[in-house]
Amino acid sequence: MKPMQDNEIKDEIASNDADTGVNERVYELGYLLVPSITEENLPVMYGNVKELVSSFKGEIISDEMPKIIPLAYSMVKVISNVRNKFNTAYFGWTKFVMDSDKVLELKKKLDLDPNFVRFLILKTVKENTIAAKRFVGRDAGHKRVPNTHKTVEGEEAVPINKEEIDKEIDAMIAV
Amino acid sequence: MKQDYFSANNIKYIDYKDIEILKKFLNPNGKIVSHKRSGVTSKNQRALTSAIKHARFMGLLPFVVK
Repeated sequence: MKPMQDNEIKDEIASNDADTGVNERVYELGYLLVPSITEENLPVMYGNVKELVSSFKGEIISDEMPKIIPLAYSMVKVISNVRNKFNTAYFGWTKFVMDSDKVLELKKKLDLDPNFVRFLILKTVKENTIAAKRFVGRDAGHKRVPNTHKTVEGEEAVPINKEEIDKEIDAMIAV
Repeated sequence: MKQDYFSANNIKYIDYKDIEILKKFLNPNGKIVSHKRSGVTSKNQRALTSAIKHARFMGLLPFVVK
């Protein structure tokens, strides 16, 4: 019985490989573009990056338009024998599915591109990984919960008491 | 932070772009808070460390704060 099962499992693995391609994985490309690009040319550059990924048979899952950010420290890049210092850059990212062999080729291509200050290719997951605002809000809420509870209870208690007292006083006056 | 922040907030993948979360785990000098102080599980601490290092490389977080 056992050898039969093994064969079946092997067949399944083989068929899975055929379905999903050789070695497809989810990757993320984070990049910093040089700040000398003008606002008008930015969408063009953004399109070029997406096109480049697609040209290596990458299937784009999600991405974000590059935004200008102040860098936490100054970066140096030599472009055509000139040392360039950068304190700001356009930061953008794209998430895509690609063959593991193709990613190396993509990296080699990006290495030669003078428009990139730096880039980072990471293995990641398909799901959306950014949920910062919600979690920060929740966390802040957690911290405030004990304080607000106390104040809410206090506020609720006071008006009820006042009304009751008023009624009691009215009753006293009436009598 | 006694309990693991990431499992408490149901964060399965620690992203290097989430600098607001990562900043919680830096001390005033920009160093990564130790596993002992952060209270994060070993697995998440390893993921956190690499996320912070990736963010530093991309200029999102500083290497040192003077």
